[in-house]
Amino acid sequence: MPVIELNNISKYFGKFAAVKELSLVVEEGEFFGFIGPNGAGKSTTMNMILNFIKRNGGSVKLLGQDMPGADVVVKKKIGYVPSDVRFYPQLRVHDLIRYTLDFHHMKEDKQELEHYCELFEVDLKKKFGDLSLGNKKKVAVICAMIHHPELLILDEPTNGLDPLMHARLFRLMKEKQEQGTTVFLSSHNLKEVEDYCSKVAFIKAGHLIGVEDLTAINKNVKIITLKGENLPLDQMKTIGAELIKQGKNEARFSYEKELPLLFQTLSHMAHGLDDVTVDNRDLEEQFMSMYENQEAAR
Amino acid sequence: MTLFRLECKTHTKTLLIWTIVVALLTLGLVSLFPAMKDMGLQQMDLKSMPKEMLKAFNLSDMAAFATIKGYFGYEFQYVMIATGIFAAMLGTNALSREESEGTITYLYAQPISRASIVSSKMLANALIYSLYWVVSMVVAFLVCLIFKESGASVSDLFKGFSQLTFTGWIMGLTFLGVGFLLSSLLSSNKSATSLSLGLVFLTFILGVVGKLKDTFKTLVYFSPVDTALPSAIFKSGIQWNYVWTDLIVLVLSVLLTFWIYRRKDLKA
Repeated sequence: MPVIELNNISKYFGKFAAVKELSLVVEEGEFFGFIGPNGAGKSTTMNMILNFIKRNGGSVKLLGQDMPGADVVVKKKIGYVPSDVRFYPQLRVHDLIRYTLDFHHMKEDKQELEHYCELFEVDLKKKFGDLSLGNKKKVAVICAMIHHPELLILDEPTNGLDPLMHARLFRLMKEKQEQGTTVFLSSHNLKEVEDYCSKVAFIKAGHLIGVEDLTAINKNVKIITLKGENLPLDQMKTIGAELIKQGKNEARFSYEKELPLLFQTLSHMAHGLDDVTVDNRDLEEQFMSMYENQEAAR
Repeated sequence: MTLFRLECKTHTKTLLIWTIVVALLTLGLVSLFPAMKDMGLQQMDLKSMPKEMLKAFNLSDMAAFATIKGYFGYEFQYVMIATGIFAAMLGTNALSREESEGTITYLYAQPISRASIVSSKMLANALIYSLYWVVSMVVAFLVCLIFKESGASVSDLFKGFSQLTFTGWIMGLTFLGVGFLLSSLLSSNKSATSLSLGLVFLTFILGVVGKLKDTFKTLVYFSPVDTALPSAIFKSGIQWNYVWTDLIVLVLSVLLTFWIYRRKDLKA
Protein backbone atom coordinates (compact mmCIF):
# COMPACT_ATOMS: atom_id res chain seq x y z
CA MET A 1 0.00 0.00 0.00
CA PRO A 2 1.38 3.46 -0.84
CA VAL A 3 2.05 5.48 2.30
CA ILE A 4 2.66 8.74 0.47
CA GLU A 5 0.93 9.46 -2.85
CA LEU A 6 1.55 12.84 -4.44
CA ASN A 7 -0.34 13.45 -7.62
CA ASN A 8 0.64 16.52 -9.67
CA ILE A 9 1.03 18.80 -6.67
CA SER A 10 2.08 22.40 -7.27
CA LYS A 11 2.84 25.38 -5.11
CA TYR A 12 3.13 28.94 -6.34
CA PHE A 13 4.44 31.89 -4.34
CA GLY A 14 3.06 34.70 -6.46
CA LYS A 15 4.10 33.82 -9.99
CA PHE A 16 7.06 31.73 -8.85
CA ALA A 17 6.46 27.99 -9.05
CA ALA A 18 8.28 26.48 -6.04
CA VAL A 19 6.94 23.03 -6.92
CA LYS A 20 5.29 22.20 -10.22
CA GLU A 21 3.14 19.15 -10.95
CA LEU A 22 5.17 16.80 -8.81
CA SER A 23 4.04 13.18 -8.54
CA LEU A 24 5.60 10.61 -6.25
CA VAL A 25 4.69 7.33 -4.59
CA VAL A 26 6.33 5.98 -1.43
CA GLU A 27 5.41 2.41 -0.61
CA GLU A 28 4.92 0.96 2.87
CA GLY A 29 8.16 -0.04 4.59
CA GLU A 30 10.42 1.88 2.21
CA PHE A 31 13.38 3.97 3.32
CA PHE A 32 12.85 6.75 0.81
CA GLY A 33 15.41 9.45 0.15
CA PHE A 34 14.44 12.85 -1.20
CA ILE A 35 17.38 14.86 -2.48
CA GLY A 36 17.94 18.07 -4.33
CA PRO A 37 20.00 21.26 -4.17
CA ASN A 38 19.09 24.25 -2.01
CA GLY A 39 15.90 25.91 -3.19
CA ALA A 40 14.86 22.87 -5.23
CA GLY A 41 11.49 22.64 -3.47
CA LYS A 42 12.21 19.84 -0.96
CA SER A 43 10.93 21.69 2.10
CA THR A 44 7.95 23.11 0.17
CA THR A 45 7.03 19.57 -0.90
CA MET A 46 7.36 18.32 2.67
CA ASN A 47 5.30 21.24 3.95
CA MET A 48 2.57 20.33 1.46
CA ILE A 49 2.72 16.65 2.44
CA LEU A 50 2.28 17.62 6.09
CA ASN A 51 -0.42 20.21 5.32
CA PHE A 52 1.70 23.02 6.76
CA ILE A 53 0.95 24.95 3.57
CA LYS A 54 -1.91 24.67 1.09
CA ARG A 55 -1.13 23.36 -2.35
CA ASN A 56 -2.27 25.09 -5.54
CA GLY A 57 -3.18 21.93 -7.36
CA GLY A 58 -3.03 18.15 -7.33
CA SER A 59 -3.78 15.72 -4.54
CA VAL A 60 -1.98 14.25 -1.53
CA LYS A 61 -2.81 10.91 0.08
CA LEU A 62 -1.09 9.84 3.28
CA LEU A 63 -1.52 6.29 4.59
CA GLY A 64 -4.31 5.86 2.05
CA GLN A 65 -6.29 8.89 3.23
CA ASP A 66 -6.94 12.15 1.43
CA MET A 67 -5.24 15.25 2.80
CA PRO A 68 -6.05 17.71 4.23
CA GLY A 69 -9.37 16.05 5.11
CA ALA A 70 -7.76 13.34 7.23
CA ASP A 71 -5.11 15.66 8.70
CA VAL A 72 -5.70 14.90 12.40
CA VAL A 73 -6.24 11.14 11.92
CA VAL A 74 -3.13 10.80 9.77
CA LYS A 75 -0.88 12.89 12.03
CA LYS A 76 -1.47 10.43 14.87
CA LYS A 77 0.57 8.04 12.73
CA ILE A 78 3.30 10.43 11.59
CA GLY A 79 6.52 11.46 13.27
CA TYR A 80 8.24 14.58 11.92
CA VAL A 81 11.73 15.95 12.49
CA PRO A 82 12.10 19.47 11.09
CA SER A 83 15.42 20.67 9.69
CA ASP A 84 15.37 23.71 11.96
CA VAL A 85 14.26 22.40 15.36
CA ARG A 86 12.59 25.22 17.27
CA PHE A 87 10.48 23.78 20.05
CA TYR A 88 9.27 25.59 23.17
CA PRO A 89 12.50 26.92 24.76
CA GLN A 90 10.99 27.42 28.21
CA LEU A 91 10.01 23.75 28.58
CA ARG A 92 12.18 21.00 29.96
CA VAL A 93 12.93 18.11 27.61
CA HIS A 94 10.81 15.73 29.68
CA ASP A 95 7.85 18.12 29.55
CA LEU A 96 8.18 18.43 25.79
CA ILE A 97 8.08 14.66 25.42
CA ARG A 98 5.11 14.45 27.79
CA TYR A 99 3.23 17.11 25.81
CA THR A 100 3.96 15.19 22.60
CA LEU A 101 2.56 12.01 24.15
CA ASP A 102 -0.45 13.96 25.43
CA PHE A 103 -1.18 15.24 21.93
CA HIS A 104 -1.26 11.58 20.84
CA HIS A 105 -3.31 10.53 23.88
CA MET A 106 -0.57 8.13 24.93
CA LYS A 107 0.96 7.27 28.28
CA GLU A 108 4.69 7.46 28.84
CA ASP A 109 6.59 4.19 28.49
CA LYS A 110 9.44 4.81 30.94
CA GLN A 111 11.57 1.96 29.64
CA GLU A 112 11.30 3.12 26.06
CA LEU A 113 12.06 6.72 26.99
CA GLU A 114 15.09 5.64 29.01
CA HIS A 115 16.27 3.61 26.04
CA TYR A 116 16.09 6.63 23.72
CA CYS A 117 17.71 8.92 26.29
CA GLU A 118 20.58 6.50 26.77
CA LEU A 119 20.97 5.97 23.06
CA PHE A 120 21.12 9.68 22.27
CA GLU A 121 22.59 10.80 25.60
CA VAL A 122 19.74 13.21 26.28
CA ASP A 123 19.23 14.89 29.67
CA LEU A 124 15.49 15.06 30.37
CA LYS A 125 15.88 17.73 33.04
CA LYS A 126 17.46 20.36 30.83
CA LYS A 127 15.48 23.22 29.37
CA PHE A 128 15.06 22.89 25.62
CA GLY A 129 16.27 26.45 25.05
CA ASP A 130 19.58 25.65 26.77
CA LEU A 131 20.43 22.75 24.44
CA SER A 132 22.95 22.80 21.60
CA LEU A 133 21.81 22.37 17.98
CA GLY A 134 22.71 18.68 17.99
CA ASN A 135 20.92 18.00 21.28
CA LYS A 136 17.83 19.82 20.03
CA LYS A 137 17.87 17.55 17.02
CA LYS A 138 18.06 14.49 19.24
CA VAL A 139 15.04 15.67 21.25
CA ALA A 140 13.14 16.23 18.00
CA VAL A 141 13.98 12.66 16.94
CA ILE A 142 12.72 11.27 20.26
CA CYS A 143 9.52 13.35 20.00
CA ALA A 144 9.01 12.03 16.46
CA MET A 145 9.48 8.39 17.47
CA ILE A 146 7.95 8.24 20.95
CA HIS A 147 4.38 7.66 19.68
CA HIS A 148 5.39 4.75 17.38
CA PRO A 149 4.54 6.38 14.03
CA GLU A 150 3.85 4.39 10.86
CA LEU A 151 5.52 7.09 8.80
CA LEU A 152 8.63 9.04 9.78
CA ILE A 153 9.31 12.24 7.88
CA LEU A 154 12.79 13.61 8.49
CA ASP A 155 14.09 16.87 7.09
CA GLU A 156 17.90 16.95 7.30
CA PRO A 157 17.89 14.99 10.58
CA THR A 158 21.66 14.72 10.92
CA ASN A 159 22.46 18.46 10.84
CA GLY A 160 24.45 19.20 13.97
CA LEU A 161 24.88 15.57 15.01
CA ASP A 162 28.33 14.15 15.67
CA PRO A 163 29.36 11.01 13.70
CA LEU A 164 28.55 8.70 16.61
CA MET A 165 25.02 10.05 17.04
CA HIS A 166 24.62 10.12 13.28
CA ALA A 167 25.35 6.39 13.12
CA ARG A 168 23.06 5.64 16.09
CA LEU A 169 20.21 7.62 14.53
CA PHE A 170 20.46 5.76 11.23
CA ARG A 171 20.73 2.41 12.99
CA LEU A 172 17.56 3.23 14.89
CA MET A 173 15.75 4.32 11.74
CA LYS A 174 16.84 1.13 10.00
CA GLU A 175 15.46 -0.86 12.96
CA LYS A 176 12.19 1.04 12.71
CA GLN A 177 12.05 0.37 8.98
CA GLU A 178 12.58 -3.33 9.61
CA GLN A 179 9.65 -3.21 12.04
CA GLY A 180 7.45 -1.82 9.24
CA THR A 181 7.81 1.95 9.62
CA THR A 182 8.12 3.90 6.38
CA VAL A 183 10.92 6.47 6.42
CA PHE A 184 10.89 9.55 4.18
CA LEU A 185 14.23 11.30 4.43
CA SER A 186 15.20 14.63 2.94
CA SER A 187 18.94 15.13 2.92
CA HIS A 188 21.88 16.87 1.31
CA ASN A 189 24.16 14.07 2.40
CA LEU A 190 24.24 11.74 -0.60
CA LYS A 191 26.38 9.21 1.22
CA GLU A 192 23.80 8.62 3.96
CA VAL A 193 21.01 8.39 1.38
CA GLU A 194 23.04 5.91 -0.62
CA ASP A 195 23.91 3.83 2.46
CA TYR A 196 20.44 3.59 3.96
CA CYS A 197 17.72 4.38 1.43
CA SER A 198 16.00 1.79 -0.73
CA LYS A 199 14.71 4.38 -3.16
CA VAL A 200 15.63 7.94 -3.93
CA ALA A 201 13.85 10.80 -5.67
CA PHE A 202 15.73 13.74 -7.21
CA ILE A 203 14.14 17.16 -7.32
CA LYS A 204 15.37 20.30 -9.03
CA ALA A 205 13.70 23.68 -9.52
CA GLY A 206 10.40 22.28 -8.30
CA HIS A 207 10.41 19.38 -10.77
CA LEU A 208 10.93 15.73 -10.00
CA ILE A 209 13.72 14.69 -12.32
CA GLY A 210 13.97 11.04 -11.45
CA VAL A 211 13.36 8.22 -9.00
CA GLU A 212 15.98 5.49 -8.59
CA ASP A 213 15.58 2.12 -6.95
CA LEU A 214 18.88 1.81 -5.10
CA THR A 215 18.37 -1.90 -4.42
CA ALA A 216 18.31 -2.55 -8.17
CA ILE A 217 21.08 -0.15 -9.13
CA ASN A 218 23.85 -1.69 -11.25
CA LYS A 219 26.99 -1.59 -9.07
CA ASN A 220 29.11 -2.77 -12.01
CA VAL A 221 28.89 0.57 -13.77
CA LYS A 222 32.24 2.38 -13.58
CA ILE A 223 32.87 6.06 -14.10
CA ILE A 224 36.14 6.83 -15.85
CA THR A 225 37.63 10.30 -15.87
CA LEU A 226 40.48 11.03 -18.25
CA LYS A 227 42.57 14.20 -18.19
CA GLY A 228 45.04 15.26 -20.84
CA GLU A 229 45.51 17.27 -24.01
CA ASN A 230 44.76 14.44 -26.44
CA LEU A 231 41.80 12.56 -25.14
CA PRO A 232 41.32 9.09 -26.73
CA LEU A 233 37.61 9.49 -27.33
CA ASP A 234 37.47 7.04 -30.27
CA GLN A 235 39.35 4.26 -28.45
CA MET A 236 37.05 4.57 -25.46
CA LYS A 237 34.04 4.41 -27.75
CA THR A 238 35.47 1.28 -29.36
CA ILE A 239 35.58 -0.61 -26.05
CA GLY A 240 31.99 0.41 -25.27
CA ALA A 241 32.54 3.35 -22.92
CA GLU A 242 29.84 5.97 -23.15
CA LEU A 243 30.87 9.61 -23.08
CA ILE A 244 28.95 11.41 -20.32
CA LYS A 245 30.64 14.77 -20.34
CA GLN A 246 33.46 16.40 -22.21
CA GLY A 247 35.27 19.52 -21.11
CA LYS A 248 38.56 21.18 -21.94
CA ASN A 249 41.28 18.51 -21.44
CA GLU A 250 38.85 16.32 -19.53
CA ALA A 251 36.28 13.65 -20.40
CA ARG A 252 34.02 11.45 -18.28
CA PHE A 253 32.74 8.06 -19.43
CA SER A 254 30.50 5.37 -18.04
CA TYR A 255 31.53 1.78 -18.62
CA GLU A 256 29.85 -1.50 -17.72
CA LYS A 257 31.74 -4.16 -19.69
CA GLU A 258 34.69 -6.36 -18.71
CA LEU A 259 37.31 -4.69 -16.55
CA PRO A 260 40.41 -6.41 -18.10
CA LEU A 261 39.55 -4.85 -21.46
CA LEU A 262 39.18 -1.43 -19.81
CA PHE A 263 42.49 -1.59 -17.94
CA GLN A 264 44.31 -2.99 -20.98
CA THR A 265 43.07 -0.07 -23.07
CA LEU A 266 43.88 2.47 -20.36
CA SER A 267 47.42 1.13 -19.92
CA HIS A 268 48.04 1.54 -23.66
CA MET A 269 46.80 5.11 -23.60
CA ALA A 270 48.32 6.08 -20.25
CA HIS A 271 51.43 7.73 -21.67
CA GLY A 272 49.34 10.37 -23.46
CA LEU A 273 47.19 11.23 -20.42
CA ASP A 274 47.81 13.43 -17.37
CA ASP A 275 45.45 11.56 -15.05
CA VAL A 276 43.07 8.58 -15.02
CA THR A 277 40.48 7.74 -12.37
CA VAL A 278 38.08 4.80 -12.25
CA ASP A 279 35.24 4.90 -9.70
CA ASN A 280 32.07 3.02 -9.01
CA ARG A 281 29.05 4.93 -10.18
CA ASP A 282 27.68 6.31 -6.90
CA LEU A 283 24.65 8.36 -6.09
CA GLU A 284 26.55 11.58 -6.48
CA GLU A 285 27.48 10.64 -10.04
CA GLN A 286 23.89 9.74 -10.79
CA PHE A 287 22.69 12.94 -9.18
CA MET A 288 25.14 15.03 -11.21
CA SER A 289 24.38 13.28 -14.48
CA MET A 290 20.62 13.65 -13.97
CA TYR A 291 21.05 17.37 -13.35
CA GLU A 292 23.35 17.80 -16.28
CA ASN A 293 21.00 15.86 -18.57
CA GLN A 294 18.15 18.06 -17.46
CA GLU A 295 20.16 21.19 -18.09
CA ALA A 296 21.07 19.89 -21.54
CA ALA A 297 17.44 19.13 -22.32
CA ARG A 298 16.47 22.76 -21.65
CA MET B 1 -6.70 20.21 26.11
CA THR B 2 -2.94 19.64 25.81
CA LEU B 3 -2.42 22.90 23.98
CA PHE B 4 -4.72 24.65 26.46
CA ARG B 5 -2.46 23.49 29.30
CA LEU B 6 0.68 24.38 27.37
CA GLU B 7 -0.65 27.87 26.66
CA CYS B 8 -1.68 28.41 30.30
CA LYS B 9 1.77 27.30 31.48
CA THR B 10 3.45 29.64 28.99
CA HIS B 11 1.53 32.65 30.35
CA THR B 12 1.69 31.94 34.08
CA LYS B 13 4.64 34.26 34.64
CA THR B 14 3.10 37.07 32.56
CA LEU B 15 -0.15 36.70 34.50
CA LEU B 16 1.64 36.93 37.83
CA ILE B 17 3.66 39.98 36.81
CA TRP B 18 0.66 41.88 35.47
CA THR B 19 -1.54 40.99 38.43
CA ILE B 20 1.07 42.02 41.01
CA VAL B 21 1.94 45.28 39.19
CA VAL B 22 -1.72 46.30 38.79
CA ALA B 23 -2.50 45.35 42.40
CA LEU B 24 0.40 47.48 43.66
CA LEU B 25 -0.57 50.33 41.35
CA THR B 26 -4.15 50.20 42.59
CA LEU B 27 -2.99 50.13 46.19
CA GLY B 28 -0.71 53.10 45.55
CA LEU B 29 -3.38 55.14 43.77
CA VAL B 30 -6.19 54.43 46.23
CA SER B 31 -3.99 54.95 49.29
CA LEU B 32 -3.60 58.57 48.17
CA PHE B 33 -7.36 59.12 48.39
CA PRO B 34 -7.59 60.27 52.03
CA ALA B 35 -4.78 62.78 51.51
CA MET B 36 -6.24 64.02 48.19
CA LYS B 37 -9.66 64.39 49.77
CA ASP B 38 -8.22 66.44 52.62
CA MET B 39 -6.39 68.65 50.11
CA GLY B 40 -9.78 69.59 48.62
CA LEU B 41 -9.33 68.14 45.19
CA GLN B 42 -13.09 68.33 44.65
CA GLN B 43 -12.98 72.11 45.02
CA MET B 44 -10.58 72.57 42.15
CA ASP B 45 -12.07 75.11 39.76
CA LEU B 46 -12.19 73.79 36.25
CA LYS B 47 -15.05 76.02 35.10
CA SER B 48 -12.84 77.81 32.63
CA MET B 49 -12.45 74.52 30.71
CA PRO B 50 -15.06 73.63 28.05
CA LYS B 51 -17.70 71.22 29.37
CA GLU B 52 -17.17 68.80 26.51
CA MET B 53 -13.47 68.66 27.25
CA LEU B 54 -14.14 67.86 30.91
CA LYS B 55 -16.64 65.21 29.86
CA ALA B 56 -14.22 63.69 27.40
CA PHE B 57 -11.62 63.25 30.14
CA ASN B 58 -14.19 62.17 32.75
CA LEU B 59 -13.66 65.28 34.88
CA SER B 60 -17.17 66.73 34.65
CA ASP B 61 -18.14 65.88 38.22
CA MET B 62 -15.38 67.20 40.46
CA ALA B 63 -17.61 66.91 43.54
CA ALA B 64 -17.49 63.16 43.12
CA PHE B 65 -13.77 63.26 43.91
CA ALA B 66 -14.69 63.58 47.56
CA THR B 67 -16.01 60.00 47.44
CA ILE B 68 -13.99 56.83 47.00
CA LYS B 69 -16.17 55.87 43.98
CA GLY B 70 -15.58 59.19 42.26
CA TYR B 71 -11.85 59.19 42.99
CA PHE B 72 -11.32 55.53 42.08
CA GLY B 73 -13.53 55.93 39.00
CA TYR B 74 -11.26 58.66 37.63
CA GLU B 75 -7.90 57.14 38.59
CA PHE B 76 -8.72 53.63 37.51
CA GLN B 77 -9.55 54.59 33.92
CA TYR B 78 -5.79 54.55 33.25
CA VAL B 79 -5.57 51.04 34.66
CA MET B 80 -8.44 50.16 32.32
CA ILE B 81 -6.31 51.34 29.39
CA ALA B 82 -3.41 49.21 30.66
CA THR B 83 -5.81 46.29 31.05
CA GLY B 84 -6.94 46.76 27.45
CA ILE B 85 -3.30 46.69 26.35
CA PHE B 86 -2.67 43.49 28.34
CA ALA B 87 -5.68 41.78 26.75
CA ALA B 88 -4.79 42.99 23.24
CA MET B 89 -1.20 41.79 23.68
CA LEU B 90 -2.35 38.37 24.79
CA GLY B 91 -4.43 38.16 21.62
CA THR B 92 -1.94 39.58 19.10
CA ASN B 93 0.84 37.33 20.39
CA ALA B 94 -1.21 34.16 20.73
CA LEU B 95 -0.95 32.81 17.18
CA SER B 96 1.82 34.95 15.69
CA ARG B 97 4.36 34.11 18.40
CA GLU B 98 4.29 30.44 17.39
CA GLU B 99 5.30 31.42 13.85
CA SER B 100 7.84 33.95 14.99
CA GLU B 101 9.57 31.52 17.32
CA GLY B 102 9.22 28.60 14.89
CA THR B 103 7.32 26.45 17.40
CA ILE B 104 4.47 26.26 14.90
CA THR B 105 6.18 23.38 13.04
CA TYR B 106 6.05 21.35 16.26
CA LEU B 107 2.39 22.23 16.74
CA TYR B 108 1.34 21.60 13.14
CA ALA B 109 3.05 18.17 13.24
CA GLN B 110 0.82 17.10 16.15
CA PRO B 111 -2.63 15.55 15.64
CA ILE B 112 -4.51 18.76 16.29
CA SER B 113 -6.65 20.71 13.84
CA ARG B 114 -6.20 24.39 13.07
CA ALA B 115 -9.61 25.05 14.62
CA SER B 116 -8.48 23.29 17.82
CA ILE B 117 -5.29 25.35 17.89
CA VAL B 118 -7.34 28.55 17.74
CA SER B 119 -10.00 27.42 20.22
CA SER B 120 -7.44 26.07 22.74
CA LYS B 121 -5.46 29.28 22.58
CA MET B 122 -8.58 31.44 22.83
CA LEU B 123 -9.85 29.58 25.87
CA ALA B 124 -6.45 29.63 27.59
CA ASN B 125 -5.94 33.34 26.97
CA ALA B 126 -9.52 34.16 27.99
CA LEU B 127 -8.87 32.26 31.22
CA ILE B 128 -5.58 34.10 31.80
CA TYR B 129 -7.28 37.45 31.22
CA SER B 130 -10.26 36.50 33.41
CA LEU B 131 -8.00 35.47 36.29
CA TYR B 132 -6.04 38.70 35.98
CA TRP B 133 -9.20 40.75 35.92
CA VAL B 134 -11.01 39.03 38.76
CA VAL B 135 -7.95 39.22 41.05
CA SER B 136 -7.40 42.89 40.11
CA MET B 137 -11.01 43.70 40.87
CA VAL B 138 -11.02 41.84 44.18
CA VAL B 139 -7.81 43.65 45.21
CA ALA B 140 -9.24 47.00 44.08
CA PHE B 141 -12.47 46.38 46.00
CA LEU B 142 -10.63 45.45 49.19
CA VAL B 143 -8.30 48.43 48.88
CA CYS B 144 -11.29 50.74 48.37
CA LEU B 145 -12.94 49.25 51.47
CA ILE B 146 -9.82 50.08 53.47
CA PHE B 147 -9.48 53.67 52.26
CA LYS B 148 -13.14 54.60 51.68
CA GLU B 149 -14.56 57.74 53.32
CA SER B 150 -16.65 57.24 56.40
CA GLY B 151 -20.28 56.86 55.48
CA ALA B 152 -19.65 55.26 52.09
CA SER B 153 -22.03 52.38 51.50
CA VAL B 154 -20.28 49.02 51.18
CA SER B 155 -23.21 47.46 49.32
CA ASP B 156 -23.28 50.38 46.90
CA LEU B 157 -19.54 49.99 46.38
CA PHE B 158 -19.95 46.23 45.91
CA LYS B 159 -22.67 46.80 43.30
CA GLY B 160 -20.45 49.24 41.42
CA PHE B 161 -17.52 46.87 41.49
CA SER B 162 -19.67 43.93 40.35
CA GLN B 163 -20.81 45.94 37.34
CA LEU B 164 -17.27 47.10 36.62
CA THR B 165 -15.99 43.53 36.88
CA PHE B 166 -18.51 42.42 34.28
CA THR B 167 -18.00 45.32 31.84
CA GLY B 168 -14.21 45.24 32.25
CA TRP B 169 -14.28 41.53 31.48
CA ILE B 170 -16.28 42.18 28.30
CA MET B 171 -13.91 45.03 27.34
CA GLY B 172 -10.85 42.82 27.81
CA LEU B 173 -12.37 39.93 25.89
CA THR B 174 -13.15 42.34 23.03
CA PHE B 175 -9.53 43.51 22.86
CA LEU B 176 -8.43 39.88 23.16
CA GLY B 177 -10.73 38.89 20.28
CA VAL B 178 -9.56 41.71 18.01
CA GLY B 179 -5.98 40.84 19.01
CA PHE B 180 -6.56 37.25 17.91
CA LEU B 181 -7.90 38.47 14.59
CA LEU B 182 -4.74 40.55 14.04
CA SER B 183 -2.62 37.60 15.18
CA SER B 184 -4.20 35.34 12.57
CA LEU B 185 -3.10 37.83 9.91
CA LEU B 186 0.47 38.25 11.18
CA SER B 187 3.34 35.93 10.35
CA SER B 188 5.52 37.30 13.15
CA ASN B 189 4.86 38.83 16.55
CA LYS B 190 7.45 41.57 16.08
CA SER B 191 4.73 44.17 15.61
CA ALA B 192 2.35 42.65 18.18
CA THR B 193 3.17 45.09 20.98
CA SER B 194 2.95 48.21 18.83
CA LEU B 195 -0.27 46.95 17.25
CA SER B 196 -1.77 46.33 20.69
CA LEU B 197 -0.81 49.80 21.88
CA GLY B 198 -2.14 51.31 18.66
CA LEU B 199 -5.40 49.39 18.93
CA VAL B 200 -6.11 50.46 22.51
CA PHE B 201 -5.00 54.10 22.20
CA LEU B 202 -6.67 54.62 18.83
CA THR B 203 -10.02 53.28 20.04
CA PHE B 204 -9.66 55.24 23.31
CA ILE B 205 -9.04 58.45 21.35
CA LEU B 206 -12.07 57.67 19.19
CA GLY B 207 -14.05 57.53 22.43
CA VAL B 208 -12.61 60.88 23.57
CA VAL B 209 -13.45 62.50 20.21
CA GLY B 210 -16.94 60.95 20.38
CA LYS B 211 -17.52 62.61 23.73
CA LEU B 212 -16.12 65.97 22.62
CA LYS B 213 -18.84 66.66 20.09
CA ASP B 214 -22.36 65.27 19.80
CA THR B 215 -22.07 64.83 16.03
CA PHE B 216 -19.25 62.33 16.58
CA LYS B 217 -20.87 60.44 19.42
CA THR B 218 -21.21 57.22 17.39
CA LEU B 219 -17.41 56.99 17.63
CA VAL B 220 -17.79 56.05 21.29
CA TYR B 221 -19.16 52.71 20.12
CA PHE B 222 -15.71 51.98 18.66
CA SER B 223 -14.08 52.42 22.05
CA PRO B 224 -14.23 49.26 24.19
CA VAL B 225 -12.65 51.21 27.09
CA ASP B 226 -15.85 53.30 27.23
CA THR B 227 -17.85 50.13 27.93
CA ALA B 228 -16.03 49.83 31.21
CA LEU B 229 -15.13 53.38 32.22
CA PRO B 230 -15.27 53.15 36.01
CA SER B 231 -16.62 56.69 36.52
CA ALA B 232 -19.47 56.07 34.04
CA ILE B 233 -20.25 52.62 35.46
CA PHE B 234 -20.32 53.91 39.06
CA LYS B 235 -22.54 56.83 38.02
CA SER B 236 -24.95 55.30 35.50
CA GLY B 237 -24.48 51.53 35.76
CA ILE B 238 -23.89 49.19 32.83
CA GLN B 239 -24.41 50.82 29.44
CA TRP B 240 -25.80 47.88 27.52
CA ASN B 241 -25.59 49.52 24.11
CA TYR B 242 -21.79 49.53 24.46
CA VAL B 243 -21.73 46.02 25.89
CA TRP B 244 -23.72 44.68 22.93
CA THR B 245 -21.45 46.49 20.47
CA ASP B 246 -18.43 44.87 22.14
CA LEU B 247 -20.05 41.46 22.04
CA ILE B 248 -20.78 41.83 18.31
CA VAL B 249 -17.15 42.87 17.64
CA LEU B 250 -15.96 39.95 19.79
CA VAL B 251 -18.08 37.35 17.99
CA LEU B 252 -17.13 38.69 14.54
CA SER B 253 -13.42 38.72 15.47
CA VAL B 254 -13.57 35.16 16.76
CA LEU B 255 -15.37 33.88 13.65
CA LEU B 256 -13.00 35.71 11.30
CA THR B 257 -9.97 34.38 13.21
CA PHE B 258 -11.16 30.78 12.71
CA TRP B 259 -11.87 31.45 9.03
CA ILE B 260 -8.50 33.07 8.32
CA TYR B 261 -6.39 30.67 10.38
CA ARG B 262 -7.83 27.57 8.68
CA ARG B 263 -6.60 28.95 5.37
CA LYS B 264 -3.25 30.17 6.61
CA ASP B 265 0.03 28.95 5.15
CA LEU B 266 3.11 28.43 7.23
CA LYS B 267 5.61 31.09 6.22
CA ALA B 268 8.59 29.34 4.65
